Amino acid sequence: MNYDFSDQEFALFVQLQEVMQSYVEANDPEKGDVASIDRITRGALARLGETPYLNLGLASQSGLHGTLTLMGAMEVLAGLSPSLFLSVEMSTRVFGRIVQTWGDEAQKEKWLAPLLSGKMIGALGLSEDAMNVDNEPLKTTGVVDGDVVVVNGHKQYVINGPTADWLAVAGVMEGKGAMFLVEKNAKGLVMENRLATLGYDGAAICNIRLEDCRIPANQVMVPVGGKESLALIRMWENQVILGASIGLMKSAFESAKNHAKTHKSGGKPVIAYQEVGFKLSEMLTLVQTSQLFAYRAAWTAEDAPKEAESITLCAKVFCTEAAEQVAANAMQILSGAGFLSGNVVERAYRCAKYGQIAGTSTEIARVKIGDGALGARVS
Amino acid sequence: MDFAFTKEQLMFKKEVIRFAKKEIVPRVQEHDLNKEFDFESFRKLGEFGILGLHFPEELGGGGADVITTVLAGEALGEAGVDGGLTLALGAHTFLCADTLFRHATDEQRKKYIPKLASGEWIGCMGLTEPDAGSDVASMKTIAEKKGDNYVLNGSKIFITNGPIADVAVIYAKTNPELKHAGISAFIVEKGTPGFSSGPNIIKMGVRTSQTSELFLNNCEIPAGNLLGKEGDGFNMSMQTVEWDRSALLAPFVGASTFMLKRCAEYAKGRVQFGRSIGQFQAVKHKLANIRIFAEAARSLVYRIAWCKDQGRPLNHLEAAVAKLFVGDWSMAPANDAVVLHGGYGYCHEYDMERIFRDSRLAPIGGGTSDIQKMIISKLI
Repeated sequence: MNYDFSDQEFALFVQLQEVMQSYVEANDPEKGDVASIDRITRGALARLGETPYLNLGLASQSGLHGTLTLMGAMEVLAGLSPSLFLSVEMSTRVFGRIVQTWGDEAQKEKWLAPLLSGKMIGALGLSEDAMNVDNEPLKTTGVVDGDVVVVNGHKQYVINGPTADWLAVAGVMEGKGAMFLVEKNAKGLVMENRLATLGYDGAAICNIRLEDCRIPANQVMVPVGGKESLALIRMWENQVILGASIGLMKSAFESAKNHAKTHKSGGKPVIAYQEVGFKLSEMLTLVQTSQLFAYRAAWTAEDAPKEAESITLCAKVFCTEAAEQVAANAMQILSGAGFLSGNVVERAYRCAKYGQIAGTSTEIARVKIGDGALGARVS
Repeated sequence: MDFAFTKEQLMFKKEVIRFAKKEIVPRVQEHDLNKEFDFESFRKLGEFGILGLHFPEELGGGGADVITTVLAGEALGEAGVDGGLTLALGAHTFLCADTLFRHATDEQRKKYIPKLASGEWIGCMGLTEPDAGSDVASMKTIAEKKGDNYVLNGSKIFITNGPIADVAVIYAKTNPELKHAGISAFIVEKGTPGFSSGPNIIKMGVRTSQTSELFLNNCEIPAGNLLGKEGDGFNMSMQTVEWDRSALLAPFVGASTFMLKRCAEYAKGRVQFGRSIGQFQAVKHKLANIRIFAEAARSLVYRIAWCKDQGRPLNHLEAAVAKLFVGDWSMAPANDAVVLHGGYGYCHEYDMERIFRDSRLAPIGGGTSDIQKMIISKLI
């Protein structure tokens, strides 16, 4: 047992903070049109490419734990900018892991190598009109036509959709699950308008349509394991959401704490009042509990894979609900200053809700955890 | 970071669960109903080695690390041992015996620790007073030096094991002018003239543990029964906090695993509207909440234990966070477990009712949740 990050891990977190803080301050990744988001994301990826960050959980880094180190690092980046974090992670960890897990050598060379050096943006098209991939079969299909596969379907809420160089589109081919890799500007790939969202306003999100989109057969990956492959993708998404949750809750907490120590009322800093001090105590309890939960979930990914899915679901439910509570209380402490647009706490409050909806939703997660307790296999 | 237990630790946990299910759990309900301490179980805990797990072998202990010691507490809860017995164990081993082990002379250690580790003697600690709860410094019990003796006067309240203890660690002011720095700790044995206990106080939960007032009425003890130096008492009481926040919280974590298993069994067997209630999402939701609590609390509790094993000074912030979380969040899963069992959950026959009452102590004992919030808000 060991509850400390190593010196090397700490050094990485400090490096990330240094490298990215100035970049975030100079570029404000929390807003902008598609063109500026595209530029800011690519700039960030280039910077991150010079650190071990992009490799974490994808390519082994000597001395660093894969997903566990990644969770600590994600917390840093998500704390600085939730939107930039989401763009980077949906590309690197979700798209990247799809290629790493189901791609052949040539496919890895083509997509993974540029991804890990920060030279490419990827996206995943998974969700369809039915929303719930657990209950509804995917309707996106690929039909083999000689050396070509013809893809048709509709995907919604594709994060990085407008900026991605490559999109992995989940669907069905010859009765089996398949991932269709579609290049930006491919004929038959139709980008719908960018979607406005409650939070993560600096992430570029859109729906896409595939209309007789013809892709070479070597741009198809066939995930093994059928439905379980979808569960695995959900777990990667859940890990990203865990990182986002602890990052944004920590930055909201810090912001509220600083405010409570400096803002005076009745001649003393407001933290001296129990209504404020006790709120901060409850918030910190949620922050620390969430951090440990997220780290442990990340640790199971490599060290206790049998538990990984269920612990990750438990952590995801807890941390995302905690994030909303912490953000809400942080705003209460900042009061008027917190309600103004553009501050860390207001941003965290708007972003927090996403965590409970995205990946495995809180409701589906609880059902699965309950199934696990009843002895059913969780998947 | 590494969240794994060693194979030995996990094997030991299994052994404790097996032992407790066979030797202790069958009598738990009866004793809870009668509000009686189970001396037989306590003796068996001693025989198994749980009462002195972390003490050195030469003093009759098991030489175990803190994590293993905490695991034993979790295992007892997981096996279905009631919160009263685990509380009695906690007061005995951590609040009394451990304080003696750390601060008594070699001679005193040899006298007390083997007897306490085996369960031959039962220990308690007297800190809280009617007018001095978390505000320890306002205690009124006084110890006056008189020749080679100290004379103790005052009273203590809510003392776990009070009516049954053979030896007590009693905190008293040697200098009433001072606040914390005026507090000292003493060894007081049962039968010392002027030392007596009140009747068992009937409590909402943890009913098999015996709780009482202690009275010190011109109670004269040898000066050698002072632990450490005069004025050291407050720091000694603070050192027990490490155990309070790990070993004493662990049974609550174990109890939630016990509840989860019981609830799952019940949900599978209970049929309503033509199907087992486990198939209803609202029931799964409750099962999930119990599991989520157990997993969250586990990491917090073992963090304190691991730090202690590393020899680090207690991180009061992390300790308060663990106590606050387990305290405030353990009641909801206990409530869920009762409700999931419906009418049966409200009846004594099903253990959920007992655990629900036992859980209510978590945000109160060893410093209420509000006190933890005071600590945290000061430290941040």
